[in-house]
Amino acid sequence: MLDRHEAHDDRNLGQDLPKRDAATVADRPVADREVPLPGMAAAGEPALVIHQWLDGETSEAEARRADAKQVDLWKMISTETEQRRRMTTPAYVTANIMAAIPEARTATKMATATATSTSSMVESRSALPLTMVLMLGGGLVAIGIVIGKML
Amino acid sequence: MTEEEPTPADVDSDQDVISRILAGERDAFAMLIGRYSDPLYRHALGMTGSPDVAEDILQTSFIKAYHHLGEVRGRFDAWLFRIVANGCKDWLKNIRRTHLSYDEDDQPSTYASPDEDLDRTELRQDLDSALAQLAPSLREAFIMKHVEGRSYEEMADLLGTTVGALKMRVHRAREALQTLLEEKYD
Repeated sequence: MLDRHEAHDDRNLGQDLPKRDAATVADRPVADREVPLPGMAAAGEPALVIHQWLDGETSEAEARRADAKQVDLWKMISTETEQRRRMTTPAYVTANIMAAIPEARTATKMATATATSTSSMVESRSALPLTMVLMLGGGLVAIGIVIGKML
Repeated sequence: MTEEEPTPADVDSDQDVISRILAGERDAFAMLIGRYSDPLYRHALGMTGSPDVAEDILQTSFIKAYHHLGEVRGRFDAWLFRIVANGCKDWLKNIRRTHLSYDEDDQPSTYASPDEDLDRTELRQDLDSALAQLAPSLREAFIMKHVEGRSYEEMADLLGTTVGALKMRVHRAREALQTLLEEKYD
């Protein structure tokens, strides 16, 4: 099964698009090709067994019979890939992520706390003039008494 | 009294955890990080070849995931994988790498002698260098198969493609790596 290439479907409509010839295919990087290169398929028999071994579909002995050198190379590569498979995320990465995401619950608490202190300020603002009025009233009464005594 | 392994029923499903987070239990997000960070870190490390970049991609991806948790439809792990994979591909598009190296200091050596250690470091660098020469789609397939140890079915599920196409990519990646490495290690 190959990847679907929807962009190529247009070619089935008989439009005058340039046809891909063998030379063009051969010029493309090996890595991007979805079909075997001319000449590569011939050497595919031992390689196929190696792939089957690497995919767990056949035994190492079978693969060794096909190409012992390739088996040795892949065993060496496997020691490295298995080492990488055991790598873990550094602990500080999790801490960094948690530190970077919004403090939703704390923010709610902070918002509540802010709202409470704001309402207290509103209350104290509304209470302040009353105290001042009382003090001013008391002061005025005292001044009145003093003036009355002087007269 | 022996400690028993938690059964699947004991472990909150991803969807349960997501529901808790969306309900305001922010700290439950650490559970999702714990579940998925290691394989995703290995993926990002394999794709970029740089621990620093891999960490950045992982952090950015998880933060992005947190902000879009409400949009998760279907499997969370596949959705998160796509965010990380796209982050890697975007990075690869924007950067031209000249050299790759893993941070040796973080990884304890499992090799007996200094010579073996040296050989291994050389192989590591050569493999990194060879991987860097692969097309991103082939590198991705090789990393998922050989470093992350995923099955073709799992890879197909995560990448939204067929097992056959992925086998083809892995085979091509192996052939290219073999060509690049066999001269030196023959």
